This record gives sequence, C-alpha cells and structure tokens, in this order.
Amino acid sequence: MVIQKEKKSCGQVVEEWKEFVWNPRTHQFMGRTGTSWAFILLFYLVFYGFLTAMFTLTMWVMLQTVSDHTPKYQDRLATPGLMIRPKTENLDVIVNVSDTESWDQHVQKLNKFLEPQKNDVCRPGRYYEQPDNGVLNYPKRACQFNRTQLGDCSGIGDPTHYGYSTGQPCVFIKMNRVINFYAGANQSMNVTCVGKRDEDAENLGNFVMFPANGNIDLMYFPYYGKRFHVNYTQPLVAVKFLNVTPNVEVNVECRINAANIATDDERDKFAGRVAFKLRINKT
Amino acid sequence: MGKKTLEIYSVELNGTKDVEQTDKQDGKERYRGLKNCFHSKKDHHTEKLKKELDLDDHKLSIEELEKKYGTNIITGLSSTQAAELLAQNGPNALTPPKETPEIIKFLKQMVGGFSILLWIGAILCWIAYGIQYSMNKSSSLDDVYLGCVLALVVILTGIFAYYQEAKSTNIMSTFNKMIPQQAFVIRDSEKKTIPAEQLVVGDIVEIKGGDRVPADIRLLSAQGCKVDNSSLTGESEPQARSSEFTHDSLLETKNIAFYSTTCLEVSTSPVGTATGMVINTGDRTIIGQIASLASGVGNEKTPIAIEIEHFVHIVAGVAVSIGILFFIIAVSLKYQVLDAIIFLIGIIVANVPEGLLATVTVTLSLTAKRMAKKNCLVKNLEAVETLGSTSIICSDKTGTLTQNRMTVAHLWFDNQIFIADTSEDHSNQVFDQSSGTWASLSKIITLCNRAEFKPGQESVPIMKRIVVGDASETALLKFSEVILGDVMEIRKRNHKVAEIPFNSTNKFQLSIHKTDDPNDKRFLMVMKGAPERILEKCSTIMVNGQEQPLDKSTAEAFHTAYMELGGLGERVLGFCHLYLPADEFPETYTFDVDAMNFPTSNLCFVGLLSMIDPPRSTVPDAVTKCRSAGIKVIMVTGDHPITAKAIAKSVGIISANSETVEDIAKRLHIAVEQVNKRDAKAAVVTGAELKDMSPEQLDELLTNYSEIVFARTSPQQKLIIVEGCQRQNAVVAVTGDGVNDSPALKKADIGIAMGIAGSDAAKNAADMVLLDDNFASIVTGVEEGRLIFDNLKKTIAYTLTKNIAELCPFLIYIIVGLPLPIGTITILFIDLGTDIIPSIALAYEKAESDIMNRKPRHKKKDRLVNEQLAIYSYLHIGLIQAVGGFVVYFTVYAQEGFKPSILINLRVEWEDSNVNDLEDSYGQQWTWYQRKYLEWTGYTAFFVGIMVQQIADLIIRKTRRNSIFQQGLFRNKVIWVGIASQIIIALILSYGLGSITALNFTMLRPQYWFVAVPYAILIWVYDEVRKLFIRLYPGSWWEKNMYY
Repeated sequence: MVIQKEKKSCGQVVEEWKEFVWNPRTHQFMGRTGTSWAFILLFYLVFYGFLTAMFTLTMWVMLQTVSDHTPKYQDRLATPGLMIRPKTENLDVIVNVSDTESWDQHVQKLNKFLEPQKNDVCRPGRYYEQPDNGVLNYPKRACQFNRTQLGDCSGIGDPTHYGYSTGQPCVFIKMNRVINFYAGANQSMNVTCVGKRDEDAENLGNFVMFPANGNIDLMYFPYYGKRFHVNYTQPLVAVKFLNVTPNVEVNVECRINAANIATDDERDKFAGRVAFKLRINKT
Repeated sequence: MGKKTLEIYSVELNGTKDVEQTDKQDGKERYRGLKNCFHSKKDHHTEKLKKELDLDDHKLSIEELEKKYGTNIITGLSSTQAAELLAQNGPNALTPPKETPEIIKFLKQMVGGFSILLWIGAILCWIAYGIQYSMNKSSSLDDVYLGCVLALVVILTGIFAYYQEAKSTNIMSTFNKMIPQQAFVIRDSEKKTIPAEQLVVGDIVEIKGGDRVPADIRLLSAQGCKVDNSSLTGESEPQARSSEFTHDSLLETKNIAFYSTTCLEVSTSPVGTATGMVINTGDRTIIGQIASLASGVGNEKTPIAIEIEHFVHIVAGVAVSIGILFFIIAVSLKYQVLDAIIFLIGIIVANVPEGLLATVTVTLSLTAKRMAKKNCLVKNLEAVETLGSTSIICSDKTGTLTQNRMTVAHLWFDNQIFIADTSEDHSNQVFDQSSGTWASLSKIITLCNRAEFKPGQESVPIMKRIVVGDASETALLKFSEVILGDVMEIRKRNHKVAEIPFNSTNKFQLSIHKTDDPNDKRFLMVMKGAPERILEKCSTIMVNGQEQPLDKSTAEAFHTAYMELGGLGERVLGFCHLYLPADEFPETYTFDVDAMNFPTSNLCFVGLLSMIDPPRSTVPDAVTKCRSAGIKVIMVTGDHPITAKAIAKSVGIISANSETVEDIAKRLHIAVEQVNKRDAKAAVVTGAELKDMSPEQLDELLTNYSEIVFARTSPQQKLIIVEGCQRQNAVVAVTGDGVNDSPALKKADIGIAMGIAGSDAAKNAADMVLLDDNFASIVTGVEEGRLIFDNLKKTIAYTLTKNIAELCPFLIYIIVGLPLPIGTITILFIDLGTDIIPSIALAYEKAESDIMNRKPRHKKKDRLVNEQLAIYSYLHIGLIQAVGGFVVYFTVYAQEGFKPSILINLRVEWEDSNVNDLEDSYGQQWTWYQRKYLEWTGYTAFFVGIMVQQIADLIIRKTRRNSIFQQGLFRNKVIWVGIASQIIIALILSYGLGSITALNFTMLRPQYWFVAVPYAILIWVYDEVRKLFIRLYPGSWWEKNMYY
C-alpha cells in the first residue's frame, strides 16, 4: 500500500502563505491576533527593558571597582614592550632615496611625534617620584625630554629629513608606558641594536645611537598614568644607520638592557625588544 | 457462531487437529495474503517465487516426484547430480539481505545531523588559511588547527554514533542460526551426514524427533510425526504430519514439513525416522520467502529520529541564516572577505550544539539500560522513545496476552458451571470440591490421561514442570496435580489394564483401570472426548454423586453448558465412566482394545471441563493502564474469532460494557445489517472480511471503533493493519512472537517481540524484546518513553540556551568591534566539555506529573522542539546568559586597564600583530601578545560566566511547569554530579591547563568566577515566575507562549 503523499500545488502554497500573513477569519496577522501581538511587544519591551537596566546596573557597580587613575591589575604588563618610530604597517622601514614620497610620510610622522613639549627639567639618573602621601598629588609633573639629546636625529635644522633623503635613516626606539613601573631597578639602562643574523649584521653596517650608548634615563620613570601624568613624554633612543647595504632587506633587532626587564620571552616578540626590517633602495 | 465452531473446540483432543475440516474456509484466505505479497514484491525474481509457491509437489505421487526431480527414494540422488544442482540453485541457506556496506553507514554518520555544518566550518577554516597564506607566507596556523579540531569533532561524534548503531543487530543474523547444522541424507544409495547447506532439491532426507527440518520437504513416510509450526503460522499446537496428501494448499497439507520448523516426535516403530524429499531449498522455502518479505519491508524512521531531524533543521536554519546575514553585514561594513569568512566559522560553531547528538544517544542508551533492567531489551536505541509516543498497540494474542498454555478454565458438573483459577500458579482453586461427582470427575481426569511429568522435577513448582504429552493433557495433568496431589501415585494405585488412545475417527480416549479400593473388584472404565460423542455413549448422568437416567432436560442442560463454554472460546471435553460389573469382567479378564471386548455405550456422564489458553494475570491491568494513557490496544491474531473475542473480553481489550454489532443484533434479535454501526464500540474482524475491505473501509473501521479484534489474519494482513493504523497518523507498536509476525514487527514504528516464546525471526525484526514475555512490561516501556521525551526536551532546551550566549559575542564583535569575547575553541570546550554531563543528568529527572494519564503526543503537533522552546531558550534565558557573560568580560577588561568605552571599535588595532604599543584607558601601552593574553583571559571569563549561568539553567530545566521546590532540588542526585563536573572541568581548564596557550585558557582571578552569579540568580527567579504564571493561569496567553 503506498501512502499517497499530498502534493501541494504552487497556488495552494501561496494561498497558505497569504493566510499565514493575514487570516481574515481569525483576524490573525502572522499567526497571531492583534491582542496577542500587543502582548508580545509589551512583554519584550518590559523584559528587554529590565534586562538593559540590569546590565546597566551591574556595569555601573563594576565600574565602581575601577579607579580612574590607575588600573586595578597589571597582570600582563610586567615587561614593557619596545616599539619603533616611524610606525609602519609591517614594521619595515623602506626608504627609496630618490623617491621623496616614500620617506616623506615617515618624516611627517616623526615631526609630529617629536613635537616639542614644555616640561620640567629633572635631575638625571634618578627616578622622578611624586608620591601622593595621603593627598592626591595631581596632576603630576613630567620630565622634559629634550629633542637635542637626539643629536643628528633630532630633526632640528636638519635638511636631510632625519637622514631619509640621504639614505642614512633615523629609527626611533621607544619603550611602552607602564604605570608605576620602575624601569631599570635603579640602575642605568640602554638600548642596543644588532643585525638579527650574521649577514644582517654585515649589511647593517655602522650606526650611531642618540643619546650616547642608547641610554634611557631613570628620571622619566615612573609613569603615573594618563590622568595624572598629563604631559608625560616618553624617553626615546634614536638609531641612525650610516651605511646600510642598499637594496637589501636587513633584519634589525633592538633590545633594552635593564635589570628588571626580561628580553627573552619566547612568545612575546616585543617584550623588551623590537625587531624591524630596514631597506634602503638606491638606484 | 453455532455448531460448526463448537466442533472446532471439541475435537482437538490429541492435538491432531483436523485441519481439513476447520481450516478449509479460512486456511486458504490465511495464506492468500502471503501469496499476494510475493506477487506484489517488485523483486526481479517475483515470477520465480510465484511459480515455486504454486508447486504441486504435495499432490504428486511418489513416482511422479521421482520423475520430476530425477531422484530415487531408495538410492537418492547421485553425488554428481547433487553437485550439479547445488551449483545451479545455490546452497540451502537464506541469503542475507543486501547490507549497506559498513563504510557507507560510517560515512552517513559523518554527514548526518550537524556534521555538514561543521564540515563547512572546517573547510572555511582551511580556505581562510589558504587566503592568509597566499597573502602572507608566515601567517599563523590557528585556522588550520581550528579546522582540524572541527573535523575531529565531527569524526569523533560520527564514530560514536556509528558504534551505537553497529550495536543494534541485523535481522538476518540469527535467521542463519536457525539452519540445522547437519542433515541425514541418502545419496548414491548410502546414508550420509552432510551439512544442511549442501542439500539440493530431490535429496532424500531422514528426520528424527527433535530435529529441525533442514529444508521444505515432502514427506514420503512418516508415522506419528508431529511438527511445531508455531514460528511459521502462530499455531501453538503441534501439527501432525504424515505422507498423505490432505489439502490442496501446499501450506495446509500434511505431507509437507517446512524448513526450520522443529520435528517434535516421530513414533518409534518401525524406523523412528520420517523420510522426505527436499522440494525447496534456501530462499525458495516458505520461511525464506517470509524472511525476504520481512527484510523487504522498509524500516520506518522512528518518531524520535523525525523529531531530532526537525530539531537539527531548526538549529541549522538559524545557524545558516544568521551566518549569511552577518556575512552580508560584515561585507557591507567593509570587512575583508577573509574576516567575513572567519566570522561565519565562529557563527556556525557557536550555533551548533556539537555535543547534543552524542548526549541524546547517551540519554537514550541510559534509558535503554534502565528498561533492560525491567525486562525490556531495546535493540534500536531510538525505539526507546517510540513506545512513549505510541498511540496504537497491535498485539498478538498467543504468548503475549495469553500464557500460551492450555489451562483448565471451567468445569461443569452437578448442572453447574464452576470457575477454575487460571492464574499463572493455579493456587486459588475455589470451586466446590465436596460433591461426589467431583470425586468421580477428578478420577477420570487423573486416570484417562497419558501425559506424564518428566522425572526429577519434584522441587519445581507444578506449573513450571516439563510434561511429556500434548497441550490439553498437560493442562489436565497439572490441574489434577494441583488439586489432588501426586497424580503419578494415584495412577499407580489404579493400575491401568487397557487403553485406547485418541484418534480422529472415534474422537475419544479410553482406559480401563483396577481401582484402588481393595473391596471393589470391579474395573473402572474412564473416557474423555468430544462432549457430544461422549454424551452419545451415555445413558445416565451423575448428579451430586448419584447416577440418574439421562433425560431430555439434563441433555438440555448439558447443551446449554456446552454452548456457553464454547461461546467463551474454550475447548470443551466431556468425561464419563463406567464400573464394569465384576461378574462379567472378573479380575483376570483380558481386555483386547482391538476387538473391543468391553462395552462402550450406556456409560455414566460425569461432567464437562473446558480449557483455554488463559490471559496472563498482569495483562488486564496493563491494558487498563494503556487505555488511561490514551493508547488503543488492538488484538491481531491468527486464532479463531471466538477465542480471540473471549480473550479480548477477559483482558479488557473489549471492555465489559461494549458490544460488537453482532452482540447488539443478538440482544435486540434483529439482523446484523439493521444495527446502527455507531452504537457498537467494539468490532471483531476476521481475515476473510479484511480481505474484502478497501483501504478506505479499513481506515473507517480503525477510526470508528475503539476496540478492535482481528482474527484469522495472515502475515500480510497484519502488515495491512499496521499500515492502516499508520495512515491514521498513529505511532504503532506491534507485539508478536512468530515468524509470521516478523513482517508486521518490521513495519511497525516499534516492533516488540517476546523474549521467551518468540522466534528468532521475530526477535530480529523487532526493535524491542520483552525478556519476560510480559505485556505489562510494555506499560513500563511507555512510561519510560514518555519520560525520555520530556527529559530530552529539557536536555535540548538546556543545550540550546548557551548557544545564544556563544553567538552574541560574535555578533557584537562584528558590529561593535570589541576584542573577541569568546573564541571558537572555548565554545567547543563548553559544548563538548562542561555541558555534556549536566545535559545527560537531565535524563535522570523524574516525571513532573503523572505522565501515564495524558494522551500520547500527536506525531505532527507535539514536537520535541517547538517554537516556544526555541524562543524561550534563545531569546529569554539565552539572552540573559549573553548579558551575564558580557558583564564578566567587561569586568576583566576594565580591571586590567581597558574600560568598556575604549573597547568599542578597537578590533582592528587590537588584532594587528604589528601594533605593539596599543594604549589602554590609562595610557599604558600593550604589545600584541600582552593583548592576546588578555583576550584569552576574556575568553576564560566569558566561559566561566556562561558556565555559572548554565548551572542555573540546569536547575531550572528540571521542570517545565512545576516549581523546582515541588520537584525537589536534591531528588535527582545526578544533576549535582553534573554541576560538580561543570565546575571541576572549568577549574581544570583555567588553572590546570591555563598555561597551555593553544587552548586559549588562562588562570582567572577567583573573584571573576562570581561576577555572573547575579544573572544566574535572575535566571532562576525569572523561570520560577514563568512557571508560577503557567500554573496560575492555565490556558492563558502566558501559557501558550511560555510553556514549551
């Protein structure tokens, strides 16, 4: 015995849909009467209204536990990272000496980055601590980072545009800000750069660091956070590459040598170090 | 009914039922259907089958047979002939049905259910990696890993499901076991033993008592041969076999013995064996044809499989539509196609409850185990639920509803009908045993009986002892043993001097004994047999122990009683005796049974005794329970209508106050045609009537009558009945034990075979086996089935809920650009980790209310996953969970330095591995890896948030209507095991494996574990309120929308 399957014609299907959308007999729209729809809307209005209120409330309560000035936890920031300027897409500094446009953007960025700031002149070699001592000491003063320290890379009265126009580019190294981090643990620290592999070292050629030795002074630490430390300027180290082999990609790695900054984290390639590529195209 | 049918029950004294007389009309019809079915089989060898069935081998003389098969009954076939035939016709074995190759079954598991979606997800992962790789050779392998993990999930769940399916056995596997190992055959004039598989048509075989018949054989010589055809036809009586041609039908004639039936006995003289010629082998045998009929019946999809499919469609529909919607949104938001693909993967993974199908399987097998403990062995896991949705049970009579043994049910003496106890142990015989008539009657019962207990069974309860003898004599023996004590001892004291066993011509059995009264030297002649034959031989009747002349009024009383007992569907026997006068028959007298040198008339009639295969004592109660559970119980039997109706009445299939059309006609003394059919609630339909019915008429019959008995039905008709019920949208359960039931068992939504009495074929075709043959076990099955359906609902609701909480993060991530709140791997750890044991724990939940008092669910209306369930899980609890999860997520980020406001649209920079000085809300700068680590902490936090709320979800899912406090918070201990497992798994993931970055888990600060607790409480309170309103306002808008 074959059970006959009811096959609906196309017209029937359309008819059924029509009836589903609006059923004139029962006055149902999409399977519900007007009152039912009203109930549904009202219900969801109340329900979701309540849920939103609950969310807002819990978020508000949660935000009460968070200070405006310092983060509650800094679990991930034990080791500050290093970064370079100019900031490029894949951390590769490519300079076409003859092609102004290729480095002009870097120069613009650097100019902006190195805009002069008016800050205190602090005593070098010591942390510039500004404890609260019970009363909020606010805002905190920031130490001046004088552009002149960057020597040839300061860009002041520099017709070579940080050396980009001559194929001797300056790359700036900076250390990530971490609140209340006493970098160097009271000992002096500096940045060093090397070619990543032997051939990179060869191709890299000579370079000079500004300030001398790539030193970072303790006076720029600790950092007190965006709210307190309004005009904080990050200390920088500039590296001017003097005779990079042209038309070759050179892998450069710079790391900071400081007592309390580990630079050998296998997973975080930017913890206390930075790697970038340098390529100078000369025709 | 009249006289004709009465005869049926009165003549079968020795079980040598006279098939010719009784089955002439019905017999043909009984097998007609079977034949039809072979005809209609679309198999290419249909024609061949038909030809085989039209065989007239039983009509041919031995010489003609010899000619036809080129054999000789003395010398047999020659070995070369046999080898030729074997090569031509194949071995004498049933070919197993075309099996789906294992690899196909396995692959089916790999692509069924959600697997397709997950495969798509995996492939998308690899495509995404391909795109990444083509853009950047050093791109991370994360997507490849994720793809592999997804593939692994599919493969593992597929293997799991395959393993479960493989456990359920195949129908043919024990058909093969039924083949006798060896056959005794005459070939080359030599008797030899060969494997039965090598038998060919024309072989001359010898069978001994206890052998299985090795093929369909035409008997050439057989004396006192009896075969048990019960597995083939459902007749529980041993069938006599001889070499004479007695019936036109191959299936009815006595000179054919069928393959795989058992030869019970062959009289010892002169040879002790029956000889026969093989006429059919292997698949061409009758049983082979029924087997192919059974395996030809397609296995119906179980209701739960349909429901799960429906549910998979819903979830897959939601997943695909949200996936596509957000793919479009992502593209129009100027995301790259690569990103959009990755979003799609996330959405798919979040939407698919990966662990659910495995959970369902485990849940079902847990119930199956529980049912096995209650003697319901479930072969097909999905069948566990089927009984719960069953709305019609088609039950076989013999062996299922009845005890499948003749038992004394009524006695008639002293002009009175007495009721004997027919319960399983006969313990409670209450009829009056003080009358002198009873003393005489009991003596006849005891003495005029050839049945004997097998020795060495003294410790066995009487009803369980094994008896040598046929069914009626066994019944009488046990009956007398229970009432009188040691029957064998009584027989010893009343030494038997002569005996005439029953035969179908004189229809009585007689024996002559010395009495145990030392003062009485007379011989006692006792006789039993067909009541009217016995009465003819009597001139007096015993009333209250006194002999009285048999006058017209007593004869009238006899007839009334006889009719009444016959009308109950019982087999009636008459008993009489005569004390032979001592002067004519002195102690030394030699009785000669051939010369009949003793009187066989003018005896004294003592009483009637009727026997029936009584219903099992648990059945009436079970039938009532089925009734109150809204299940219609239909009896489908091969037995006679009167017996069927009587049993149906006594077990309540036809309830006490309902009448058939015929009953009404009889009561009102009008013709059957004049009765208003609507007045009758019950109907008894014979196979002959069914044959003439159109499908529409059958539908009408099935809908109009609530109490139906089908009698004298063939295997094919059983199929038709099952199909008819299924046309009513009913979920049909069929119970049965014989080979003849196996096609119907297969066709039914759930086939239930009897474990003890059932034939292997029936057990194989069935989805469930009742180990104790007890119909009442079905009620247990129904209850468990309904419970599992309810609990599966709860499990699915529980599992679906968190999918929204997993999905929302992706949607928010795409639209608002937050750092990803929860990763795909993490989602898999919820779906396949923390949620598994709790969702199984819901299977242990007790029923909320009396599930046996509600109607079976409607196949098309009461879905496992309905709109309300999906909406409540997705849009109510699921959303609360999502919000709760986000609160934990925001808490972690804010306390580490990223306040919610800064997170918005941070996605691109956040994920850029070249940005290693991303500023947070406090001006601190983060490297990419530091952020990544925070992101994983976020995953862990969101994961813990969901986990905590899933605990609340688990608790609220315990009930759908009642308050948790009504249900008892601690009654289901497994729930608490589940909760503990959730917490322990989460703790291990966070603290134990937190250092393995590949899993994206980190160690979470302890306080974050409690952030979502307010939302967990909200879930519980909200659900209590929902249930409260449902209970307060039944039928209201609220219930319609909120009850799932």
